[in-house]
This record gives sequence, C-alpha cells and structure tokens, in this order.
Amino acid sequence: MEALAFKDDISGSGAAAAANSLQLIAFSIGEQTYGVEITTVREIRAWNGATPLPNTREFVRGVINLRGTIVPIFDLRARFGEGQTSPTKNHVVVVMSVGEKWVGILVDAVSDILTVSKDEIHNVPEGNSVDTELLNGIVTHDSRMVGLIDLHAVVSGAKVDA
Amino acid sequence: MSDLDDFKATYFDECSELLNELEEQFATIEAGDHSSNRLNAVFRAIHSIKGGGGAFGFADLVGFAHAYETLLDHVRDGRVELSEHVIALCIRANDIVADFVNAAKEGVALEPGFGADEKAQFDALTSGNDPDLAGAPMDEFDIDFVPVMVHLQGTDDEDDAMPAAAVADPLVDSFEAPPMAKESGRWLIRFAPHSELYARANDPLLLFRELASLGQVEIRAILDEIPALADFEPFGVYCVWEITLVSSTVTEAAIAEVFEFVDGNCDLTIGPAEATPQVAEASIMPSLTELADLAAPSQPARLEEPEDGTNVLSFADLAETLKPALKVAPPRLPPPLKSIAPVEDHDGEGSGRAGAEDRRNGVQSIRVDLDKIDRVVNMVGELVITQSMLTQQMDETLRAHYQELVRGLEVLAQTTRGLQDSVMAIRAQPVKTVFSRMPRLVRELASKTGKKIRLETIGENTEIDKTIIEQLSDPLTHMIRNSADHGIEQPERRTAAGKSEAGVIRLSAEQAGGNILIAVEDDGGGINRERVLQVARDRGVVGPEQMLTDEQIDQLIFAPGFSTAAEVSDISGRGVGMDVVLSNIKKIGGSVHVKSWTGKGTRMTLRLPLTLAVLDVMLVKVAGSPYVIPLSSIVETIQCARANFSRMPTGGQVLQVRGEYVQVVDLAQRFAMDTDVDRDSRFVVLCEAEGGVKVALVVDDIIGQQQVVIKSLEENFQSIEGIAGGTILGDGNVALIVDVQGLKSASNARNKAA
Repeated sequence: MEALAFKDDISGSGAAAAANSLQLIAFSIGEQTYGVEITTVREIRAWNGATPLPNTREFVRGVINLRGTIVPIFDLRARFGEGQTSPTKNHVVVVMSVGEKWVGILVDAVSDILTVSKDEIHNVPEGNSVDTELLNGIVTHDSRMVGLIDLHAVVSGAKVDA
Repeated sequence: MSDLDDFKATYFDECSELLNELEEQFATIEAGDHSSNRLNAVFRAIHSIKGGGGAFGFADLVGFAHAYETLLDHVRDGRVELSEHVIALCIRANDIVADFVNAAKEGVALEPGFGADEKAQFDALTSGNDPDLAGAPMDEFDIDFVPVMVHLQGTDDEDDAMPAAAVADPLVDSFEAPPMAKESGRWLIRFAPHSELYARANDPLLLFRELASLGQVEIRAILDEIPALADFEPFGVYCVWEITLVSSTVTEAAIAEVFEFVDGNCDLTIGPAEATPQVAEASIMPSLTELADLAAPSQPARLEEPEDGTNVLSFADLAETLKPALKVAPPRLPPPLKSIAPVEDHDGEGSGRAGAEDRRNGVQSIRVDLDKIDRVVNMVGELVITQSMLTQQMDETLRAHYQELVRGLEVLAQTTRGLQDSVMAIRAQPVKTVFSRMPRLVRELASKTGKKIRLETIGENTEIDKTIIEQLSDPLTHMIRNSADHGIEQPERRTAAGKSEAGVIRLSAEQAGGNILIAVEDDGGGINRERVLQVARDRGVVGPEQMLTDEQIDQLIFAPGFSTAAEVSDISGRGVGMDVVLSNIKKIGGSVHVKSWTGKGTRMTLRLPLTLAVLDVMLVKVAGSPYVIPLSSIVETIQCARANFSRMPTGGQVLQVRGEYVQVVDLAQRFAMDTDVDRDSRFVVLCEAEGGVKVALVVDDIIGQQQVVIKSLEENFQSIEGIAGGTILGDGNVALIVDVQGLKSASNARNKAA
C-alpha cells in the first residue's frame, strides 16, 4: 500500500510535491508507531546483545560493535519512561546518524516506509512533558498516529546525574 | 597553478628535512668534527634550499642563503677559518633560513632587513679573502636557477633580475655568438655523459645553458662513436661534447660546479684551451640529422623518471638546437689537459659526494599519507581480532579432528603478529624529529635569559609511534623552557656554587619494555621546595595543615595555574606550562615523574606507551560484562579468599598488602551493577595509578591476557567516568577499558562526599 502511495506521489505531483514531502521509516513500540526521516537511517539490524555501560541512565542499553566502531544503543521504550524492553532476537536496532555521531535505537519492530507531506505535520499537543520533549511533531498516516522522533533529544541526558 | 602548489608543498617538506639535517650536522660540527663531509652536507642542504627558493622566486630567502653559501664555500676552501665565531654565526644563520622558509610557506613578509646583520657579517668574512666572489652582486647567482625557473613556471618574468648575458635566451645568444675576440680565459671542457646521467633525467642542454651564462661558449658534438644503424642501441650513449668557454673571470671551480649534479655520471675534463684556430665549417652535418633521428628512441628511457619527465627536452630537440652551434664549431679534438675523474677529490668534495651517493643507493623511501597508513593499522587491528576469535572457536573436539586446521591457525597467528609489528614499524619514527627542534629553542632561551646552556641529546634514534611523536613537541618545549628558566642558574651563581659556567640540559630517550622513557634533566639548582610549598599554600592548592613529602611537593609544579616565578617573563611564569605537560602526556596514556636534588638539578621523566593503537590488557569479568585493565598498570592479582581486607572507621575498605594499605574499589559496586559471584571466589587486581599510588580493584573473574585495539567511546557517545574507552573482543563483543587513574580520583571524591 505504502509503496504504491509513494509512487503516486512522485509521478503525480512532480518535483514540487517531492520537495514538500518527507520519507519516514516507521517502527513500533507496543501499539505505538514512531518515525524518523529515512535519510538519517544508516542500517537496521537484529538485536544481538550489548555491553552495558556503567553509570548511565536505564535507557542506555550499552554499546555494540558496528564493524569496528563502538555505537551506543538507546532503549526507546525506556526513554519514554515505560520501563526497559526485554529484548529478544526479534527486536530491532535502527542505527541512525545524529549530527556526527552514530547511535542505535532499540525498538520492537520496523513496520513501513511512509511518505508524508510536510504540511500534514502537526505540533505535539502540550501536556505530557516526555512527549513534547522527545517528539518533533505528529503525522497521521492511514488513520494511524505517527510520532516524529527528535533524535537529539532522545540521546541527550544519558549520564546519571551526580 | 595547482601543479606549482604541489611543487611548493614538496619543496617545503624537503626544506624542513634539510633544516633538520642542518641542525644535526652543526651539532656534530660544534662538537669538534670539522671534517669536510659535514661541511659538504651543510653546503648541499643550503644549496638545495636556495635552489628551490630561487625557482619559486623567494628573493629574500635566496639572497640570504646565497650569502651564507658563499661563506660556507670559503670555509670549505679553507679561506675562512671555521672558528667558534663562524660556527655560532652559521647556527644563527640556520635559524634565519628556517624563518625565511617559514615566512615563505605562510606567505607572510618578514620585517625588512631581517637577517641583514648576519648577511653583512658573511660579506665581511668573505670579502677580505676573495675579491672575485666576495660581495658578488646577488643577481649573478640567480643565473644558477634560470633553467629551473623556465621549466617550472614557464615564464620569463624573472629575467630583469639577470645580467645581460642571460636576459635573452642564452641558447640563441651565446650559442650563435661569433668566435670570441679575447684570447685570455679560454677553457676547454670535454663532457662525456654516461647512460646513468640520462637515466636520472639530467639534460645536457640545461648544463650547456648554465655554462653559457658564465661566458661565451662554443659547443661541439663529437659523433665519432655513433655506430652503424644496425648496431645502434636505443639506450646507448654515443654523443660526447666539447665546449670552449671564454670568460675572463670564471674559475675552474665555477665550471666544475655547473656539473656538480651530474658528477659521477659523466667523464669530465676541464683545462685551459689554446688559441682558437680559424672557424671551420663542420663536416658532420649530414650525420647530425641522422643523430636526431636515431636519438629519438632514447627518449622513453628518460621519461621513466617521473619527477622531471614533464620538464626534459627531448634528445632530438637538443640535437636540433645544437645545429647552429655546430656549424661554427671547428671539428677538432683538443688535448685534455687536466682530468677530473668522478671520484677524484677537488676542493675536498669527493668524499662528501660519495656519501651522498651511498645514501641515494642505500636507503630508499617513499612518502605516504598518514591516513593511508592509519587505515592499514586499523585493518590489521581488526585482523588480529578476527584471528584471535578463530583461535577461541577451536575447542578440543575440533583440535583432535582437524590437526591441519590447528596448524594453519597457528601459522596465521604468527603471520598476523608479524604483520602487526611491521605495520607499527611503519608508523614508528625516531624521536629525533622532535629532538632536533630543541637546540634552537635552547639557543633562544639562552640568549633571552643571558644564561649559558648546552643541550645534550641521547638516544635520539629511539623510535615511537608517529601519533605520539606529534603530541610530544609541546610538552618537551614546556619542560625545556622550565629547565632553562627555573632550573639552570645565572653563570655567576653557577661559578659561586662550584659548577661550570654553562648549564647542561640533557634530553634523552630510551625504550624500557613496552614503554619509552623520555627524560629532561638539568644540572641547575633543583626545585625550591620551600618556595613551591609556600606558593601552593598561598593559592590554596595545599591546605595550611597538610604536610607533604618532598616528592609530593615536587609534583605540585604540575598543578594548573601554578607558577613560582616572581615576574611573568616571556619564557615562563604564566603557570600554563607544566599542567599542559601533564594533561598532554596523560592524553596519550603516559605519565610524568619529577625528581629533584637540591643544588644539583632536576630530572623530569615522561613514560610513554610505544604505540597508541594496541594495548596489552587483562580481560576480567564484572557482573557478567567484560572489562579490560591495561597490563601496564597492573602490579599483581590476588584471590579474594587470600586477601587481607580491613574496614576503615569511615566504612571504606582497605587492603593490606606487604605492609602497605591500599584503597579498595569494588568494580561491581562502583559501576552500580549486581554480581552474584561469591565474594571469596572473586579476585583483587592491584593496580598502580599515577605517581606510584596503588589502588585495588575487585573483579568477579580473571579471564586472560590479550592485545586489544583501543576504540573511542566519545566518537559516538560520550566519556564515562572510570572508563577510558572501549575495545572489541575476539567474539565481536565490546569490552570497556577501565580507567585506573580516573577510578582512583573519582572514588576519592566520593569518599569525601560520603
């Protein structure tokens, strides 16, 4: 479905629409769907354990070896304050670049590639402070709500406050 | 233009090497070795710097280098004595040349008249001896570089600076000149190149042009040797030249100098010529065209030399150009009067050249981007890991069943280790590259402080990883400044204390196991402990009640912002010196130690790892996760069941080992992780932090010892207290490197807070 919609977007509306649209990788945590811009995603891999880091917050699951470089893994569920994920081989790590750095986000599953128009992005309603802090906006796709992750916010504040 | 920039970059690279060599040569000359080898090496270095400088139009540099070179030439000939004064002048001149080169590199202008004093001194020294050369006008020397300029830049815009003879194309002008009227000062030169001359991309035409700039020349090609076409060898050399040079001023040495760069690759005879007979029409013209055709195939041989490949004129062109000259040249064989064979010594130069020859044939080197080497180092690191991973996979059943596989893996292990060593050796450089910058620093410091200081260097061929060498320059500079400013006393005080007037700073390097020790030692007054302690108390670095041992006081000089200098001089005293040393050295995994003897001197020792890339570690387990502890900091390991723990009144734990009480850090506790390992089966790893302070780390299990490649945590994350970095184990998992020093200081802070 989504793939078709994507095709229509490109051929139908032309360059103007393409410039105004955004491609997202959508992934899920429980029932909730989140998305990040596709250009930031470097790699998607299965969960294969991580070396825990001492003196870090609970949402830092540790570090993994990504072809010779050390990449930290953030547990997105824990980051939203819903407790640590108990990962299995079926869980997925989405490796993304945030500025100069590469980080991995532990999620339940990667679901889709979505194309949305920038005009459809809504502001996050005031209220839940964690949501406002970690989301850039909300889009609706196929009557599902997709939260746009603010990666910079997710990876900040990883150390335990002394 | 970018080509030219490339050439420039190469030139500056070479300059810095040459300047280093100058520094070395003068160190030996100063020590009393006045052999002609040394002087020739110095002369060559300056000559090369000047030559390149001329090609790029750095007039100031060339002017100064020229005057310097003239002086060296006089010294070489024995016309000027190599007195201490002259040596001192030369050493200062080296610094000035270095400044000129730097200014040219950065594109900044030095103040007008920079180096003029020294230049005047050169002229004064040389003018008394030889009216011919002394104070010779600068422009005469630009001629040396005319060919180079023409080839690199392809412009003639420097022509105005040249004397009349060279203004117009020397070829046209001089080669077609009518037979000279003057009969005096005629020289006959017979020039028979060997094939190596062409193989090294030398071009006779360039030499002839240079000769033409000395006076009027007639050039004849002797083509008797050219064989029949059937016997003609494409790379053979069949052409010999005879040149008659007319000039009233030129000396034999000046002519020989033209051929300096092809010396050894040709037979050369120079002698006074008889009066020229009538000009006869050359009878060899027909064969000349033949020569032009025949010579063409010899071109590829010379084009193989990439450096000059684009610049050389072809042999055929040369023959073409020579036609007019040949028309007016009488075909006769002159009697060679004096022969200068390639190896024969004149002006005492022979041995020096032989040395250069050896070097050319002996050690060959290439320039490689450090990035490329780093990539190889990284990949070899990964290879080592993969190899150890494979070895770990071998269990007993596999071993029994596949003996060939086991043997293969053993060979692989050996080869990988060898490969790793070789790669590391590529990055290793002698510390000489840093040490050689220090003599100049010491000279400058000596003249600023009015002290007499001699620098001695020992073990400068000790090799360390290049990445460490780069980090070494700043700390060493600070340490030497400190020694010169605070250590060495004024000459009067030294004499009063019964020491020699000149202080000595000794810079030494040696390898000790897996470490390199670099020491800066002076024979000055030692650290004034009372004053250091006083200042430390004044600034609150040390509490009023705190008692310190001598050694602890000495270490205070590394505290940030610490300075005992009463006044801030431009050398030191701002207090940003020694703590920079400490932090820089710590950053590369080294440590600093000071030892001072009152009235006798101070020694500061840097202990550095051989390489930054690979670390020998002990692999341990804490709460199920792997950690590694640098082997260099481990003193011993003890089973907890046998260890002698005691509890302090504050609740902290100490370990008693050999009569010493050592602070205990339980890693599981410290890293806030749960461990289910029974206390008695755990282990104590006794480590030594900086300054010999010990700390006992408690871990769950000791797994083994291995080499790891250090990876940064900050690259993708951030630094974590107590963790120095990460590494990747054989099974592909990440292990964290324990920062012994960091744990020690952090737990101190915690204890205080608790």
